[in-house]
Amino acid sequence: MSDKKNNLHISRRQFISTAGMAGAALFMSGLLPGLVKKAYGKKISKGKSIANAENIKDVLKKHFGNRKIENSHVNLKLPIIAENGAVVPIKITSGLPMEKNNYVKKVFIFVDANIHPYVASFDLSPANGKPDVSMRIKMRKTSNVRVVLETNKGKLYGAMKSVKVTIGGCGG
Amino acid sequence: MPKGIGRIKIRVPRNITKGAVIPIKALITHPMETGFRKNKKTGKKIPAYYINDVNVYYGDKLITHCDWTIAVSANPFMSFYIKADKAAPLKMVWKDIKGGVYEKTVQIQPK
Repeated sequence: MSDKKNNLHISRRQFISTAGMAGAALFMSGLLPGLVKKAYGKKISKGKSIANAENIKDVLKKHFGNRKIENSHVNLKLPIIAENGAVVPIKITSGLPMEKNNYVKKVFIFVDANIHPYVASFDLSPANGKPDVSMRIKMRKTSNVRVVLETNKGKLYGAMKSVKVTIGGCGG
Repeated sequence: MPKGIGRIKIRVPRNITKGAVIPIKALITHPMETGFRKNKKTGKKIPAYYINDVNVYYGDKLITHCDWTIAVSANPFMSFYIKADKAAPLKMVWKDIKGGVYEKTVQIQPK
């Protein structure tokens, strides 16, 4: 009986001490991020606003002027969540014809949040038979991926999809 | 030049019927450095080194041209389609910004 009592006593003591530790840990954890932020505040803000980053709107305007991009005829296959931003597979398919006088001339890929949103372009010809391409791209962080197809008649077709990135892929 | 850069694999379907639209897959070994990354030991920036130009010739005609930037993943993979209407070599040429030219030719033999 006395043994049990002793046990209980110790466990209660232990409980109090562990509870105290937990409380202290909580307090510290609440304090720590603030301290870290204070110490590295300058660095964090510097990383967020990169001076020569381009805006997606300006880039689109530079490539297409004021021409309207129709959101149809383009299918985009992208992962919803990309574990690694350095390798994001992208697959573009489209039912647009590839005939002699009516074909897709160019395929553009843009990523909004990259420092240079323009990623790649493909110049196709009727000899391709299909305006479908796929490749792997880098993404700095979670953002939209846009694809624009330009036909030889000057029409623009586009598609957009959001990809969540857990580890960025542009370094720096 | 570091070892292993410019190794190329091109995959073409085994049985090709004449006039069919066939997929071509190509892979090249290349670091595709962005120029933003830092060497963790020395703290120095690693200079940009990437492929910016890809040309695909079917026979003697240029059928596809690609304009790439730093945002293409390392060891770039690309796949596209061609219309196999003649027996001719398919030549792919990659060019990087330091003047490296890598090329490989495969034979397209429709039955």
